[in-house]
Amino acid sequence: MRLNSLAFRLFATTAAWAAIVLPIAGLLIYGLYRSDIVGQHDRRLLLLLTVLHSDSIDNGTDVPGAPNDIGEPLFNVSQSGWYWQIQPLEKRPGRRLVSESLADDVYPLPSSLNVAPGDDERRWANVVGPAGQQLRVVEIMHVFGQGAEAQRYSISVAGTMAEVDRSLSSFSTRLLQALTLAGLGLLLVTLFQVRFGLQPLRQIERRLADIRAGDAQRLDGAVPVEITPLQNELNALLKSNQDVVERARTQVGNLAHALKTPIAILMNEAREDKTQLAAKVVEQTSLMRDQVTHYLNRARMAANVGIVGTATDVLKVGDALARTLQRIYRDKPIEMTVDCPENLRFRGERQDLEEMLGNLMDNACKWCIGHVRLTARPLSDGKQPMLEIAVEDDGPGLTPEQLAAPVQRGRRLDETKPGSGLGHSIVADLVHASGGRFERMRSDLGGLKARIVLPMVAA
Amino acid sequence: MRALVVEDDKDLNRQLVRALTDAGFAVDSASDGEEGFFLGETEPYDIVVLDIGLPKLDGLSVLEQWRRQERKMPVILLTARDRWSDKVAGMDSGADDYLAKPFHMEELLARIRAQVRRASGHAKAEIECGPLRLDTKTARVTLDGQPIKLTSHEYRLLAYLLHHNGRVVSRTELVEHLYEQDFDRDSNTIEVFIGRLRKKIPPDMIVTIRGLGYRLVPDGDAS
Repeated sequence: MRLNSLAFRLFATTAAWAAIVLPIAGLLIYGLYRSDIVGQHDRRLLLLLTVLHSDSIDNGTDVPGAPNDIGEPLFNVSQSGWYWQIQPLEKRPGRRLVSESLADDVYPLPSSLNVAPGDDERRWANVVGPAGQQLRVVEIMHVFGQGAEAQRYSISVAGTMAEVDRSLSSFSTRLLQALTLAGLGLLLVTLFQVRFGLQPLRQIERRLADIRAGDAQRLDGAVPVEITPLQNELNALLKSNQDVVERARTQVGNLAHALKTPIAILMNEAREDKTQLAAKVVEQTSLMRDQVTHYLNRARMAANVGIVGTATDVLKVGDALARTLQRIYRDKPIEMTVDCPENLRFRGERQDLEEMLGNLMDNACKWCIGHVRLTARPLSDGKQPMLEIAVEDDGPGLTPEQLAAPVQRGRRLDETKPGSGLGHSIVADLVHASGGRFERMRSDLGGLKARIVLPMVAA
Repeated sequence: MRALVVEDDKDLNRQLVRALTDAGFAVDSASDGEEGFFLGETEPYDIVVLDIGLPKLDGLSVLEQWRRQERKMPVILLTARDRWSDKVAGMDSGADDYLAKPFHMEELLARIRAQVRRASGHAKAEIECGPLRLDTKTARVTLDGQPIKLTSHEYRLLAYLLHHNGRVVSRTELVEHLYEQDFDRDSNTIEVFIGRLRKKIPPDMIVTIRGLGYRLVPDGDAS
């Protein structure tokens, strides 16, 4: 997960939320549990005090009596942490009674620690007991006797906090475990949620890749309502892109028309003149003509990049060109064969395929003795589906050196030799722009074999 | 031989007319599709040079309409659109040849001659009739290998007869094919030119067939 990603943002937000909320919740729960369990302990102490109190005063004398069995065996176990104590105050002689567990020890009384009594006259304190135990003490005052005989006694019960602390610590351990688990669960759910929630975006990404690969023209299919505007905008953008390309192409065509007629006029005017200036004009206009042709082709090809989702039937193009060429070369008896399976489709514009095949076939017709053959086949090697088209003739062909030399792109060479004119350089440009290969070799018909490999639309 | 040039660019039109005239054609010209169509529909041209991008009616439509009306004269399309798709469309509309701008006038003339020859049934660039020989590439006529000097009208007449040698060519046909549309057509001038030609080539090669016209024959004794 990268830092600058929607997934990270969503994930980080949830993590931060969990980091803040879960500890607070933990503290709250711990506090509630603690007050509950301490309250329970206090209520037990209070109950024991009430029993002790009523037992000790219920003997009809002016002094406290030893209580009966209070109902807590731990009072009888030495240093059990559970004690009680009845003690006279104000330094006057009186009877001091203690639980067996306390024996000769004492524990500090809340009244001696200056703890103020509550609404019910009871005082509470946390003190350290005889064996270093943490004790919770509750104390009540009681006056025994009348008048001058009256003596104030402190009646108190102490209970160890050890059980409460144990319970609290085990609770907090479990609470920590539970909250950690909850936190982890939350993060997992968030991860899933992020993946699931961002799924439509990934889908759009894949479809855009399809469009770039030429498998689709626009984004289709159901997407969540939040993404629908995005999809619509992208489709509109694709459409406007196609329109721009279309306009550019039209304008390139218009430019061609606008430039070529004046060049033709200049060329013809200058050729009738024999001056030096005229010779220069002839030379330069020829150059202009080649440059215009070359750059118009380049501009057109550049405009084609990004045009997507087009497929062209190879057989139809081959047949149309064969028909046209047979008319153009009707003075020459040419046996022209087109051998191409039906439904073989080139991934690209019809115009481009026409341009490639037209130039190759025209060249073949120009140089052949009487036979031109076009063969098209799907290719099975490679990752991408490709097709190969071979145009062969029975003309003079090329020398081995010429065959070995790469095709010059965009340059007119010696037009008196087959396959070295502008035709093949245009083909090389177009094949290159389509992402294909162009090779020339010897044909078994005797002449040149021009072979192009182009991307195919899988059947 | 009569030619029609349909081209909207004034300068190019002028150049074409001049080049064709110099090559021995009687040339009419039109600068838009409608005018061009009308001329091609009514006049018997031996060759038409037709631009595709024309005002009022585009060249392909003009051509298609002619072909629908069974006008079979050879037509060479001229266009700046030199894509193969344009060529296919042009040839499918009924054109006989296709030339992309910018072009060399010599190339156009060569193609025009080739089309004219083909239309009159001659496969070779040189047309022979007895000792007479016309090199369509150079527009030169030789008699027994010696060039003959001809005026432009004499050349037109002899070239037409040579293209159609062996066949009877009527006076009207000659008038229609030798003069521009706005020329004062007096069929008597044909007789004058025939007379002059008979002084430059063996006179009995041109046989007068009374009431029908003329026929060019390889040797004088055929009748």
